[in-house]
Amino acid sequence: MVRRVLGLIFVSLCVCQAPTQAQDFKLFDRDVQIHGFASQGFVHTNDNNWLTMYTSNVGSGEFTDFGANASTQVTDKFRIGAQLYDRNLGGLGKWHPSLDWAYATYKFAPWFGIRGGKVKTVIGLYNDTQDLDFLHTFALLPQSIYPTDLRDTTLAHEGGDIFGDIPVGKTFGSLSYTAYAGYRNDSQYGGYSYLVNSDGAQFKSFAGLQYGGDLRWTTPLKGLLVGTSRMNEDVTLNFLAPTDYSLHSKSEWTNQYYGQYTWKKLLVDAEYRRYWTDLGMQGMSLIQEDVRGWYVAGSYEIAKRVQVGSYFSHYWINYPVSGLLSSGTGHDYDKVVTVRFDPTRHTNIKVEGHFMDGYGLPSSYPNGFYYANNPQGLKPNTNALIVKGGFNF
Amino acid sequence: MKNTTKHLKALIVVAGLVTSLSALAADVKIIANPSVRTDAISAEELKSVFLEERSSLSDGSRVEPVLSRSGSAHDAFVKEYLGKTDASLQTYYRILVFTGKGSMPKAEASDGDVVAYVARTRGAIGYVGVGTSTEGVKTLSVISADNLGSRRLITRVEPVYPPELYKNHIGGVVRLKVTIASNGSIESAELLGGNPVLGESAMAAVKTWVYSAGSSKTKAEITIPFDPNR
Repeated sequence: MVRRVLGLIFVSLCVCQAPTQAQDFKLFDRDVQIHGFASQGFVHTNDNNWLTMYTSNVGSGEFTDFGANASTQVTDKFRIGAQLYDRNLGGLGKWHPSLDWAYATYKFAPWFGIRGGKVKTVIGLYNDTQDLDFLHTFALLPQSIYPTDLRDTTLAHEGGDIFGDIPVGKTFGSLSYTAYAGYRNDSQYGGYSYLVNSDGAQFKSFAGLQYGGDLRWTTPLKGLLVGTSRMNEDVTLNFLAPTDYSLHSKSEWTNQYYGQYTWKKLLVDAEYRRYWTDLGMQGMSLIQEDVRGWYVAGSYEIAKRVQVGSYFSHYWINYPVSGLLSSGTGHDYDKVVTVRFDPTRHTNIKVEGHFMDGYGLPSSYPNGFYYANNPQGLKPNTNALIVKGGFNF
Repeated sequence: MKNTTKHLKALIVVAGLVTSLSALAADVKIIANPSVRTDAISAEELKSVFLEERSSLSDGSRVEPVLSRSGSAHDAFVKEYLGKTDASLQTYYRILVFTGKGSMPKAEASDGDVVAYVARTRGAIGYVGVGTSTEGVKTLSVISADNLGSRRLITRVEPVYPPELYKNHIGGVVRLKVTIASNGSIESAELLGGNPVLGESAMAAVKTWVYSAGSSKTKAEITIPFDPNR
């Protein structure tokens, strides 16, 4: 409760007295930049409580996050920085701050650099920026690809990256690559722990090795970017209760393909992701999940500081062993319309409508809907209204 | 004598009109701290500096980009040289800042402040409107070419500022399209935009420039600033 009150006070103070630009200071004769952001949302749904909030009665304002970072360019090629992040989203986050990223980068040349520490993982267009609400037209990114309740599973790794940009001439555009390997460790306040703990079990950890890469091509066609990402995982889900046991992934990977086109004030995105997991205990295959999602989104700046946008997000989950799930489960199709208004360069307000058909598979691999806060059962359709405001400096 | 004066005045009026109709790029001049060794920068290099993809030029000079917060020079530069809108550029920088991959570049309130910052900051590179006084900084030519590759400018002769235009404080940026022969000499030069009188002078100078030799001809676009305040 104390954390919650302190958090709300912090966000309110920040919103009321938001500095207009970064706060800089000198440390050992180097410029250190301080930046931060915060957002506060309200969500109302007609049926079904959503994203672990109790949204279906009057709505919920338990939709707050904030973060702050400090970074400095030590030399022309060497850079260090760190960011703290905290959120309270219904039963997730619960005002427990986390180290979002903290790493050092050494760039030998534009075409080759290394970074090490806790690093945001590059997958698709928005994995590494999914928490940064102010960068996006939408209050919620398409949940078929970027499920905010399960963000920990792909968000960051403790390890290292190699990266670079390779120009291939005006005729061919340029290529950007990232390859990474590291250790993932889910928060105790994420969607999996919420699911496990509300099922009567006790979550201990969900962690392990992640490695993969991303390759994106800025094509010679002005404004067109295409790319692909791959992630392999070797992770273990540990429980403390009812007994101390664990599930280990025999095979777990994510493939993602994406494209983005910008033309004047129009932005069009499309992404496809397939996630496969085969979690087993003592050599026995217990859970196989095949999750596929895609979306097509468009946004347009209709006036200075006013954007409108829309997307269709398609989510589908299957148990390959048992075949297709029964009708009404296993999918979530979300049609979204939004308006974003930026009163100043550093503040924004969004109003967004979601029209959802389906609720995924809450018993095994959640996608925003949980039986724990829908004890009366889930209805097939959910409409949601989101109003969200935020600032950054 | 009277006729000559009339003729010159008419020329100045026409030149002014043509200047006002020139392309967006001609509304901006690129400035740098005198510590920056080069007098010319390629459009690709300029873009990668402002997008923080590189922090030094190909000649080894360390550079730091400086932006203007708003204004017509800012809008023209962002559109013409970076291929973005102001909103998308801000989003780009914020992605760098909030994922730890870069810093928010220095942004000054006015063209005068940009000049002052560039003048006092080693390695600083910025942009201002063509009419802005650029005392204490150097103005860079911008070269844009599809296949300039590793070809470097070896001999550069500064254009002569036509005295009548200088006296009347008429300046601007002219854009030329040049063909560089394989032996490095300038084969042809054509005026694309800007004041035609300044363009004549720029073409005369550019035709004496020499690039390093290449395997084939190279077509390039060059912008050359004329600053009456210097």
